[in-house]
Amino acid sequence: MGWFGSSDSTGSQPSPTAPEASKDGGYIAPDRTARAQCWEGRDAFFHCLQQNGIIDSVKEDAKAREACAPELKEFETHCASSWVTYFKKRRVMEHQRDLTLKKLSAEGATPMDTSSAGGAGAAALRGR
Amino acid sequence: MASPFAKTFRLAEPGLCRRCAALPAGRTFASTSTQNPKREIRSRPTTSAITARIRTQPNTVRQSIAQHGQPFSSSSQRAYKTVEEAKARSRVGPFSWQAGLFFLLAGAGLTVYFRYEKARMARARIAEANKGIGKPLVGGPFHLTDHNGSEFTEQNLKGKYSLVYFGFTHCPDICPEELDKMAGMIDRVKEKNGGNVMKPVFISCDPARDTPEVIRRYLAEFHPEILGMTGSWQEVKDVCKAYRVYFSTPPDVQPGQDYLVDHSIYFYLMDPEGDFVEAIGRNFTVEAAAKVINDHIADWKGKIDRS
Repeated sequence: MGWFGSSDSTGSQPSPTAPEASKDGGYIAPDRTARAQCWEGRDAFFHCLQQNGIIDSVKEDAKAREACAPELKEFETHCASSWVTYFKKRRVMEHQRDLTLKKLSAEGATPMDTSSAGGAGAAALRGR
Repeated sequence: MASPFAKTFRLAEPGLCRRCAALPAGRTFASTSTQNPKREIRSRPTTSAITARIRTQPNTVRQSIAQHGQPFSSSSQRAYKTVEEAKARSRVGPFSWQAGLFFLLAGAGLTVYFRYEKARMARARIAEANKGIGKPLVGGPFHLTDHNGSEFTEQNLKGKYSLVYFGFTHCPDICPEELDKMAGMIDRVKEKNGGNVMKPVFISCDPARDTPEVIRRYLAEFHPEILGMTGSWQEVKDVCKAYRVYFSTPPDVQPGQDYLVDHSIYFYLMDPEGDFVEAIGRNFTVEAAAKVINDHIADWKGKIDRS
């Protein structure tokens, strides 16, 4: 489906950041540095998507790969493929959330203060 | 905290009433004293009568009068320089700036006290409501292995408050953010209470990849005090069920498989008896969460292990 043969994001291909096995049979998670690198790659890729007006880089995979090839390559090098898919989907979700919020505030809805009160939906509503 | 407030309030009230009652007496006596200083002697029994009455009051009240007693003596000594001044004094009646100030202070004190009490009652209600009857709603027996390889059950949570978080080490962004917040909460709670009154616990929802070694290495980056837990898939399933945590790890995964785990993202605050107190969501800032925890700890009347 993509431009590169091994671009399937289901995790079947050997990931560039293949998990390292621990001595007791587990798999070592990315540490703080690795996470920061992954997030940087993600931010660069998303910035490129923004400039090219691409919202859903999962559905518009071919277009995104064409427009942001170097950024995506960097992104996929530093993040596990499950993370890549997760971040892509999350971006779409956040975009839809922002649209809904904009629509609601245009209709005159008042935002709830969720900074200290409980509420299950509050976590999802908070921007990053 | 409540009792000092209440004490001041109790002390202040009689003081206020006594002063109101005493003021007219002082005024009549003071206004006449300018004309005839000899009358001052005659009026003395009035003052001593008041003091005598005061003596019959219980100890605490007498102390407060002694503190607030200044107006009695000062008013008895006060002499108006002119008739106008005396008249002005008589026009405003028993109201003076001291009385006004006292009124305002008492009002402000009461407001603060009632607000504090209201917040405390609300917290007590949350803690009480979450305790449930018989079997607790959240929490309960579990059996896990901590990141040092030792056994860990719900009994190990008792004695201190505990802050329980469920997550997995291969978590893209939310768990690391939340664990950084947890580290902030631990430091703030420690700062406030001095000593280790809270045990922070991380329970993995991904036992296939999160072995004790993996968790130990992972948590060391956040806070040295967070104790990581893992177990067999069934053990993790059981603890998640007890804490009403939803998680989506498949029971059998291939070695090295890349997947994410969906899970609930709440901090569970448990009291020293192992009962659930409150869930703290992701919308809380470190400060707000630490305040919730500190307030509950301050409310705790029973024993708490500070070692």
